[in-house]
Amino acid sequence: MRDLITIGLPSKGRLKDKSISFFNDNGLRIIQSEKERNYFGTIENNSNIKIIFLHAKEIIQRLGDGTLDIGVSGLDLLKESDKNLQGKINIQKKLNYGNANLVIAVPDDWIDVQTIADLEEVSFDIRFKRNGRLRVATKYPNLTNDFLISKGVTQYKLIPSLGATETYPFIGSSEIITDITSTGKTLADNNLRVLKDGLILSSRACLFIAKKKAAKLQPFLKSLGR
Amino acid sequence: MKSKKLSEAIIKTFKSNGFVLSEPDVLLDSDYIIERSGEKFRSSMLTFEREDGKTMCLRPDLTVASCISFLQKKSTSKIYYSGQAYRRSGDKGTNFINDQLGIEILGSKNLVQDDLKVISTILSSAKKIKMKKIKIKVGDISLFKDLINSLDMPERWKLRLIRHFWRPSYFEELLKRLEKNTDIDAVTFDADKKRFYEMKKIYQGKEIAGRSISEILKRFEKKIKDPRSFADGKKIVKIVKTFLKINCKLSELDEKLLNFAKKNNLKKNIFKNLKSIQNLKKLNQNINFVTNFGRDVEYYTGIVFEVFSGTKEIASGGRYDDLLKSLGAKKNIPAVGAAINLKNI
Repeated sequence: MRDLITIGLPSKGRLKDKSISFFNDNGLRIIQSEKERNYFGTIENNSNIKIIFLHAKEIIQRLGDGTLDIGVSGLDLLKESDKNLQGKINIQKKLNYGNANLVIAVPDDWIDVQTIADLEEVSFDIRFKRNGRLRVATKYPNLTNDFLISKGVTQYKLIPSLGATETYPFIGSSEIITDITSTGKTLADNNLRVLKDGLILSSRACLFIAKKKAAKLQPFLKSLGR
Repeated sequence: MKSKKLSEAIIKTFKSNGFVLSEPDVLLDSDYIIERSGEKFRSSMLTFEREDGKTMCLRPDLTVASCISFLQKKSTSKIYYSGQAYRRSGDKGTNFINDQLGIEILGSKNLVQDDLKVISTILSSAKKIKMKKIKIKVGDISLFKDLINSLDMPERWKLRLIRHFWRPSYFEELLKRLEKNTDIDAVTFDADKKRFYEMKKIYQGKEIAGRSISEILKRFEKKIKDPRSFADGKKIVKIVKTFLKINCKLSELDEKLLNFAKKNNLKKNIFKNLKSIQNLKKLNQNINFVTNFGRDVEYYTGIVFEVFSGTKEIASGGRYDDLLKSLGAKKNIPAVGAAINLKNI
């Protein structure tokens, strides 16, 4: 069993469907368990490969600790993970689905705020007028922090969010947000607008491999067309 | 001398100069610090969560911790501290624990006198432990502010340059943008003009994400009148860069600044606050004045200095008139202080 390869795939939604299609298109037909909620799968005529369906965030973690050899997840989730973990994972291939942007969004009616430079000024207004900080709600604290500081915004405070981040500015939990968006519809429907220079990261689905396993995986990766 | 003995000798000098021991709390409320000093501190703090959900941190710095303690009325205003501060740094393998030893005058009423007092106390403690070849390097952050405020450029650019002076690499980036006039500017006001008129009609006190309509519209109007782009960027960048090259003996400072103003067609009297710097002549020391200096600490507002023994920096400090207010003081509490660099003695 030394050659067994464990692959983690997203367990939900479009990312799951597209990932299965990606493997199918490369001649690896994924067979899912007949039990609807079972997490395991196999590949037709290939007993050396084990498929596990996991949360996309979990896939990054398990690649880092060596449970998974290969995984499909979002570039955003890799870049958000801690630096130590990132050092253990290679991007093997960027895939042509799962495209989404991590952006900074402000309320539509903040008509005076169009750019990061405006945001920086407003954050100082907030500091001097209220002796508080501009609050930024986000599911991506690390990426948001790095980006804001690199753009000269320093007077802010992050508010960690687990979901429905778009509501935060309107219920008093934060002033602005950063969030991942593919079409921009959720932002627009919630009266938020992306800053002109507010793109933090262009993300997409990627095929990742655990760095330590790179040598062992070479033959398989070749068969995947790379 | 052993390091413990050195510390003791230094503390003795602090005491004889009227400084009283401050023993700030080891555990601080980490949200309180982030709320007031910004997010960038978070990554360097050593934090843990208490049973009741409150996040606490080990004091990351004794100046900040002493200021907090002062605001809670747990200390007098002329203090020294000696103890450990705890923080992470980006470099691998560095110690979390920093021994810090320093003095502060919090609520410093007499600027000129207190600046001198702090530096002279540091000097006498350096002499007490027999440091040789002492040299002092001084600068003054407020001179940069004076310069910027005297230049002819949009108010918003002035504020930006002043705000980011303490972050040299980002400051360089700003200068480049100013030079080439390539700052992204919201010229697309047209689309928003319609909304502007609509918003003028609604209740002006209404808040949108914490900002009132009147606040938003006021800033919008100001922005139209005072755009960030303007023609003279190149000239201004040249002046700023020339200023940041000034490096001379304290005795030549007057002449240097006068020449600088003359060459750049500036008024003679733009640098108003030279008293404190000039007063340092009383120390009778080898003092160098450098403009491009003291830019790594956000909270310095006035005089900044480093004391050297040969080439080793043995102490540093400066004036920080805004820190206590940003830590929650109701009014401005000017302050000045310095710390011994224990690693180098």
